[in-house]
Amino acid sequence: MLSSILVPMDDSEPAGHALKYALENHPDAEVTVLHVVGAPSMMMGDAVGLTLEDDISEAAAERAEPVFDRAREIADDLDRGIETIVSVGHPARNVLDRADDYDTIVIGAHGSDRSRASHRFLVGNVAETVSKRSSVPVTIVR
Amino acid sequence: MVETLLLIGIVASVFVGVNIGGSSTGITWGPSVGAGIVKKTTAAAVMTVFVFLGGITVGQNVMETLSEGIITTDLTLAAGVAVLFFIGLGILVANIFGVPVPTSMTTVGAIAGLGLATGTLNYVTMAEIITWWIVTPIIGFWVGGVIGRYLYPAVNQRVDIKKSEGPLLILDRQGTVPTPAFGPNTTWRELGTTTVVLIIGCYMAFSAGASNVPNAAAPLVGEAGLEVTNAVIIATIAIGIGGFTIARRTMDSVGGELSDIPLLAALFVMVTASSITTALSYIGIPISLVMATVMTIVGIGWGRATRPITFREAVSRDSEGEDREIELGAIVTEEQKDEPTPPIGEAETEEVLHGSDLFNPQAVIKYVSMWIIGPSMSTILAYGFFVLVPGVT
Repeated sequence: MLSSILVPMDDSEPAGHALKYALENHPDAEVTVLHVVGAPSMMMGDAVGLTLEDDISEAAAERAEPVFDRAREIADDLDRGIETIVSVGHPARNVLDRADDYDTIVIGAHGSDRSRASHRFLVGNVAETVSKRSSVPVTIVR
Repeated sequence: MVETLLLIGIVASVFVGVNIGGSSTGITWGPSVGAGIVKKTTAAAVMTVFVFLGGITVGQNVMETLSEGIITTDLTLAAGVAVLFFIGLGILVANIFGVPVPTSMTTVGAIAGLGLATGTLNYVTMAEIITWWIVTPIIGFWVGGVIGRYLYPAVNQRVDIKKSEGPLLILDRQGTVPTPAFGPNTTWRELGTTTVVLIIGCYMAFSAGASNVPNAAAPLVGEAGLEVTNAVIIATIAIGIGGFTIARRTMDSVGGELSDIPLLAALFVMVTASSITTALSYIGIPISLVMATVMTIVGIGWGRATRPITFREAVSRDSEGEDREIELGAIVTEEQKDEPTPPIGEAETEEVLHGSDLFNPQAVIKYVSMWIIGPSMSTILAYGFFVLVPGVT
């Protein structure tokens, strides 16, 4: 019986599928959605933009809002509640750092807009890295 | 035969120019277009003009280095065309894999490969160029760091760049002679900031011309067959075409990435990167505008992220060094511990968001590695080619 599930999400389609899968297959588990902002990118624009803000946590929360809105919509459709966490920096590392607090991780197979080679080169495939190094079982959803 | 070869060379040069135009227009105008201050078409048009000015003035020094500085003999037409193909190859790789391959460095690499193969490489010039390639990112990083740490916060409090509804200026046709007047919501302040944004964009376009026009033009100049002016004009037209076509996309993506940082910060970055690029081009060193830009951005972010700790601590983590990493993040995020927990289902901000997490050196190192791999690959490929096909030189 899994009682707590971590679902790392971005604005990609597989991320939505992952959340839906987690909610449908674990009706009694507490689902936490994690979104990581300020990931390294080609020109570091997002990360630098974030550091220039006066209040990093507030700015990070603001950037995460669209992803959480979508997550809540998915959860509402299934009549479920979710918890949300915002984090900054390297996506895979953030997920792995929190893995121990949960029974399992459910993650989308790949990210969205920045899934180009350049992004893979800098960040790697998050789902792949997480599944390789995670201390808890990982489900990858397409 | 010679004419056919020259034609092939011009086609290759145009290909290189169009791609350069796409990427450099992206970084130069992306932020202002993103902020709604300049239209994409205006940006491309202004870009073309200042690229030409940069190419025909300061760019000539770089062209000299490329065509007669790196190798002791003059580039022949055939060799120039071959070099252009290697530059094109680098661009192709960059486009297909989305990895940033700096064009200026690929160009130098290809010519150096030719020099190695024919035993005409000017090692003194190469050593000078490579030294600048190592020093420049460091300069960019430190200037960015100083701006992010000391200058930006102070200026940010005083300056507010924004665009109001409606056109900036309108023509007042009520008098006998139409005179320009302010648009419905325009203020003196907006007019001032818009002008500054435009001027800085032009400056960066100038430096883009100085550093990038030679890549497309130099291989065809001199003994190869074209007059300097003609080669610059061809390169400018090609860059302009790139600015009006490919740049529509890159202004969103490459420039969009830049637009993720506030416009004011982007302007600081642009001024710094353009000044570095123009200065180096002036002394004839081929340098990548993107390289200077990226390192300045990283520097600004780093400077800002480390602001709450003192300079000495940021550089040397000697005194009580172990706790530094944690404190850095803890200071950047304001105290949040005592805030009440939001109800379940609401967004819950995580206790500590580490500002330092945004700067994992690994990503920067990977990025910088492309500046080593790119030119090295082009040197090796060009060397192999010119050794196997000695007739070309």
